[in-house]
Formats: sequence, structure tokens, C-alpha cells
Amino acid sequence: MSYFLTQLANGLSYGLILGLIAVGFVIVFTSTGVLNFAHGSVLLTGAYLVAVLQGPVGFWAAVVVGIAGAALLGVLINAVLVRNLAEANPGTAAILMLGVDILLLTELTRRIGNRVLPIGAPWGADVVAIGGVTLPTSRAIAAGLAVVVFGLLWFLFARTGTGVAMRAAAADGDTASLMGIRLSRTGAAGWALAGALAAIAGVFLASFPAPGVGPALAISAFAAIPAWVLGGFDSVVGAIVGGLIIGVVTALAVGYESHLHFLGRGLGEVVPYAVMILVLLVRPSGLFGRAEAVRV
Amino acid sequence: MKHRIRTTLALAGCVAVLAACSTEDPDAAPAGGGAEGEVRTGTGVTADTITVGMLTDLSGPFAAGAAVQVTETQAYYDQVNTEGGICGRDVEVDVQDHGYDPQKAVALYRSMASNVVALQQVLGGPTSAAVLPLAEADGLYLGGHGWAGVALQYENAQIPGTTYSIESANAIDYLVDELGLAPGSKVGVVYFVGDYGSDSLAGAQHAAQQRGLEIVPQEITPRDTDLTAQASALQQAGVSAVILGAAPAQLASLAGVLAAQGLNVPLFGNTPTFGPSLLATPAGPALEQNFYTVTSIAPFSLDQPGVQAARDLYEAAAPDGETGWEVPLAYAQAELLTTALRGACDAGDLTPEGVVAAMRKTTGLDTEGLYATPLDFTDAAQPPTRTVYVSRASGQAEGGLEVLGTFEGPSAQSYPVG
Repeated sequence: MSYFLTQLANGLSYGLILGLIAVGFVIVFTSTGVLNFAHGSVLLTGAYLVAVLQGPVGFWAAVVVGIAGAALLGVLINAVLVRNLAEANPGTAAILMLGVDILLLTELTRRIGNRVLPIGAPWGADVVAIGGVTLPTSRAIAAGLAVVVFGLLWFLFARTGTGVAMRAAAADGDTASLMGIRLSRTGAAGWALAGALAAIAGVFLASFPAPGVGPALAISAFAAIPAWVLGGFDSVVGAIVGGLIIGVVTALAVGYESHLHFLGRGLGEVVPYAVMILVLLVRPSGLFGRAEAVRV
Repeated sequence: MKHRIRTTLALAGCVAVLAACSTEDPDAAPAGGGAEGEVRTGTGVTADTITVGMLTDLSGPFAAGAAVQVTETQAYYDQVNTEGGICGRDVEVDVQDHGYDPQKAVALYRSMASNVVALQQVLGGPTSAAVLPLAEADGLYLGGHGWAGVALQYENAQIPGTTYSIESANAIDYLVDELGLAPGSKVGVVYFVGDYGSDSLAGAQHAAQQRGLEIVPQEITPRDTDLTAQASALQQAGVSAVILGAAPAQLASLAGVLAAQGLNVPLFGNTPTFGPSLLATPAGPALEQNFYTVTSIAPFSLDQPGVQAARDLYEAAAPDGETGWEVPLAYAQAELLTTALRGACDAGDLTPEGVVAAMRKTTGLDTEGLYATPLDFTDAAQPPTRTVYVSRASGQAEGGLEVLGTFEGPSAQSYPVG
């Protein structure tokens, strides 16, 4: 039983981190209509900044710079590239983002090489044990922080002018624009928010039990794509729930692989996509998606 | 009229460029039989130079380690050249970057094959797998491609040590004979699917069968850098040791998580699993406590004349360079090719085919400690040695590894390669 609970806790905490990434995908999509395939390298940029700066300026200052840097990078991608597209076509923008991802990733890979850069977090390799359940301290903190961040996001979208403007722009850009909402501002805010969330997720994805910042971190962000899709492309709540489902299912599939070996080895890799396809078969717009959201 | 002149000029320009890129080397003596002293020459050899190629990864995931190998290889041939060269000729190294992309590696191979006498290195599993059949068809020597057992089916490939499978078989034998693992125990194998990890698993499975152990396999991908779920599953299965056929990021995670779970069992890694930078991560203490590696190439810190020569050369060439097992490996690989080139020169046939033939006559090659035993390349289907160095992670040792000794177990001897 404690084995099951350990895997469950592990899956839930990982799922909340995936949720942070998936929410970033959703916010960029709803605010500017872009499928942001450069999200992984934005995440890696944030984590890389933290790893190289934590030595000289300390961990917490480095985290602030990393989050600000990733947010700024998102704003720049939006301002320089996305807004200059001749026509706002999701397909063109998605391909543009793939290009941006390759460029950023190549440069970061060149800088990191095959080193593993320690993230220098104060929780190191500690673990917490509650009852028979053990969980890395970094994961427990990540889970708690993710819940707080999601609470703040709810407050932002429900109670602040900026958040309401962003929601209005997402629901109907043309009308919102006529009502005096500046889509350039809501777009920039969306990209900044997504970049900041990605950097936070990056710090935890690079913390114990992972070894540190390496180029593979950018790819692990793509594990959030099934979460984003199955939650519905345009739903923040869906992205969080999707993240939790993918996290738990992956942890249980790997943990109980020996009981499921008729399905073959390496199950953890396939299972998120299998779940995503199953959900889309039953609910074509995802769990919380609007039926009219554009799907690729 | 103006347009026609412009078109004609453009066409003429294209023809000139094509001619310049022609694959015929105007300086090369005819392949059929040159009168260059007594030595026949072919592609990549002129009256005063021998050109060897390196297809490596200077922009992809293995860029840092690959750069160390390029530095060391160039320093090696600079030294060879100051000592008079090979066959009266200087050796030049043509380095190209494939960025770990098999498509690019094949394209670069095509443009390079007609200008080199041998390929000193094609770095990476998928890249060398793409190039090996082409090089075999061209009869071109290919070295420095890692230790996957599949390379043993190629006559032209010179594997720089023993295979991953034999490394892992030795790890099992070492666990039983030196660390006292009891019969019936379970051993986890966490591995990348493919030429590398699957070969490692095959060796471990063979040895486990021989020694009465049970293997608990866990398949992963290079994307997995958090091995918590795998570590929990291994603990649940009750393993007494773990073998890892993966990369440094996976090693750090697995070692850290297993130690955090209180499962302090021996953790063995194949050659590419370890990098000294891991000792600075939170997993450092766990690695120093539990990690062993089985390698046919000597670790950086080994006190033997061959390894010392490799270190001296590297420290002169790159005083602040990163240290690791890549340094002795690059030195050894250059020495293997140099031996073949000298053999080809002595046999009077410095053509690509002559180099491959000379490589296949290499036997009893003493590398002064770079490898644990003399090497024998006469049978393409067999690895040149089955002995490995067993080392432990250590923050004190240069390159992060401290050598415990050499080892060759019964399952490693009986493993049927190929």
C-alpha cells in the first residue's frame, strides 16, 4: 500500500509541475492563438539562467532573474516574431515556433555541452517521509508552490482588470478590441506569464531527483503536451487536471510495469499519449475545452 | 542580350564551382599503383600528407566530450608529425561536425570519403550506424564509433575496446566474485533501448543466467531525467545491485533517488554513463558511496605510462580543458589508427583497403595501460579484449574515477558476441 501511495504522491507532484507547463501552453494559445512549440526552450533558458547565476548571486536571486529572463524571452518572441506575421494563421505560427525552438535549443546545447549544471537549490537531495510515503523535498515544495501559483492565477483572471481583459481577448479578440482592450498588451502579458511559469517548472524539473540542467530538459517540457491537449486546448483548469492525470498515470505505469509486462517495456513513454487519445475519442474537445477551439 | 550574357556567366560560374568540388583529388596518385617509393597510395594520401577524417558532434548533445577528443587527437598527430610523420608524410585531420544527426553524418561522409584514407572517428550510435555500411562498401577504415556489439559485423570497423555487453557481463561477474552477491539475487538493469543499452542488457542477461541471478529490466529514454518511479520499482522488486546503460543525467538521478530511498546497493555503469561533473550535483555523495564503472579504456587518473602520455599531451594542448575518460580514449584511438597506417606503409599499400588490411593484422598490441590487456584485431567478429578496468567514483581522483583494478570474469569470457 505504501508503495502505491509513494508512486501516487510522486505522480501527483510531477503532474502539478506538468500542469505549470501546460497552463503556459494554454495562456499563449488563448492570448495570441499560437501553438507555442518553443515553450520547451524557453523553460530551458530560465533553468539555465538559474544554474549559471546561482553560484555568483545565490539561488533565490538567480531564480528571480531566471523567471524574469524567461518571461522577457517570451515577450520578445511575441513582439519580434509573432506580431510580425503577415496573417495570424495557427499553422504558420506553429512552424515559426518550431524554428525558434531549434535555434534556442542549439545555442543552449552549445553552451551546456554534455555537462550537467547543478541548480543549487537549498533543498538538495533531501526527502520527506510521511507515514510510509517518501517524496523528494523538492517535489513536495513544487506541489505546494504549484497550488499557490494556480490560486494566484485564479485571482488574476477572476479579480484583476488585466486578467479580465486577457479572458475577454481570449474569448473574442475582435469584440474585446472594439471595447478598448489592447490585444498587444494582453498578448504580451500572456507570453510573459507563460515564460515565468515555464521557468518555475524548469527549476523543479532540474532539481533532485533530476540531476540538474541539461539539454534534455527542453524535451521533457513536451511531456506536458498530452496534458494540454487532453485538458482542452484553451482551458487553464483543463491543463492542470490534464497534468495531474498524465503525472499519475505515468508514475503508476512505470511503477507497476512488471505487472503489466504483457504490454511490453518502456510503458511510461507511451501511456500519456494513449490516455490522450482515449480521452479525445470520448470527448473530442478535451476534458474542459470549448468545442470551437481550433485543433491542429 | 544582356540577360543572355548574365545567364551564360552564371552557368559558367556553376560549372567552375562543380569542377572545383569534383571528388577527384588532383594530387592523389592513381589508385591502381603509384610509384611513390615502394608504397601504393589511393585517396587521402599525397606525396607529403596523409589525411584522416573525423565526423564528430561539435554542436549536439555530446559536444563537450567530443571537443575534448578532437583536441587530444589533433595534439597526438601534431606530435607524430614533429617526430617525422607516418611513411614520410605529415598526418592531417579533417574535422567535420555532424551535430549527432545521421542524415548530416551521411552527407558529410559522402563529401569526405574521397579525400581521406581512413575515418579516425564517427562519434555517436545512430550516426556511426548510418555511416558504417557505407564505409564498408567503400572499404574505408572506421574507428572511434563507441562499443556497440553490432559494429563487430563490419570488417572495416576497429572497435576501440570491448563491447557494452561484455562490460555488463563483467559487472555481474564482479558483483558475484568480488562483492559477494548471493545466488538467486536480483539485479536491476536500467537501459536506453538501442545499440547501446540493449547490448548492455544482453550481456547482463547472459551473465545472470550463468551465475544464477535474476535480471529486472527497466527501459528508459534519454528524455527521462527523473528516475524516481524506476527506482521505486527496483526497490519494490528487491534488487541487490543495479546496472545502468544510459547517460550521466540518468546516472545522477538514479544514484540520488536510490540513496534517498535508503537502497545503498552497488550501481554499475557502462563507459558512457559517467561524467566527472556529476560529482558536483546533489547526487555526488551517493555516487561516491555506490557507483562503479566497467570500462575497457583506462580512466583519466590511472598511473600507467600510456595514460600518463595521454594526460601530458592533453594538459599541454588544453591546460584548462575538461578532464575525463575521453582523453585516454582519443589518444588510444589515434594510436590504433597510427598502428594500422604504419602497418600499411610497411606492407607497401597505403590505400584505404591497405589500411583496413593492416588493421586486421594488428595483434598483441601493447598500449601501455590504455587498455588492460594487449589487443588483437585479427578476427573482426571478436572484440580485441574482454578485460575491463573496474573503477569507483571519487572526488579526489582527477577525472572523477579511481581505478580498483582490472577484471575479466567467466561470463564475460563465455559471452557469445555477434
